[in-house]
Amino acid sequence: MPPPGGFEAVKYKRNLPFRGPSGLVILGAVTAVCAYGFYRVGKGNLEKRELQREKVWSRIHLVPLLLAEGDRDTYRRQQAALEREKEIMKDVKGWEPGKSVYNNARYRAAESIVVL
Amino acid sequence: MSTFHDSASGSQPYKDPTPLPDNIPKVQELGATSAPLKSAAFFIGAYCKEYNEDFMLCKNESRGDPAHCLKEGRRVTRCATDLITKMRENCLEKFDAHWNCLELNNQEYFACRKPERALNKCMFDKLGLTKTIPGSPQGKTPIHEVASPVYTTVQR
Repeated sequence: MPPPGGFEAVKYKRNLPFRGPSGLVILGAVTAVCAYGFYRVGKGNLEKRELQREKVWSRIHLVPLLLAEGDRDTYRRQQAALEREKEIMKDVKGWEPGKSVYNNARYRAAESIVVL
Repeated sequence: MSTFHDSASGSQPYKDPTPLPDNIPKVQELGATSAPLKSAAFFIGAYCKEYNEDFMLCKNESRGDPAHCLKEGRRVTRCATDLITKMRENCLEKFDAHWNCLELNNQEYFACRKPERALNKCMFDKLGLTKTIPGSPQGKTPIHEVASPVYTTVQR
């Protein structure tokens, strides 16, 4: 005879618990994340180029100022060296102070800065 | 007795104490350090454009001779001094805030956009100078006015 309340239902369904999102969903999510990342990288590269341009132009704008200051100092040192040379070589006949060693009018910076 | 001193191996760099010859007019050197100069660079470029270009053309013509462009160089320095004085008169707090920020952030412009915008606004209102970066792409927001840039400091 059956027990009171009847037999329990026969378990015939497959027992497959939910094991997370499907492969297709994960693949899509990863693709989306990567796409966003590359979009940011691309934007960042464009921005980096502009930042570099900004930095370079800030230096370009300062070049004349710094060059002018350096030129004044170089000229002052040149004149001082010329005076020293005149003083040292005043007894040597036929010596031309500040004469270039080259037979060429082109300007050349002094090789030695100071002789102590 | 005189001995040989190699000036390159001295503990102190050799400084020539001789002043400029008297026939060269004197000009006060600017004396600003790198951060204030970097902060003011684009305004110097805008304000002293003619003098700077004149000087650079002269330098190109002289092929490196420092004696050739002393006059133009004095003009450049005077103009820059003038601009820095005006900046300090009109926008002292903003200027100080910006260059101190640059000083603390490896002198990167992108790290100091907030003080920079305040300074740019003040400079435009008071002196009519704008920061423009030559060669930046047409029709796009210039990099110093982008609202949410990719490159920022780690700490906002």
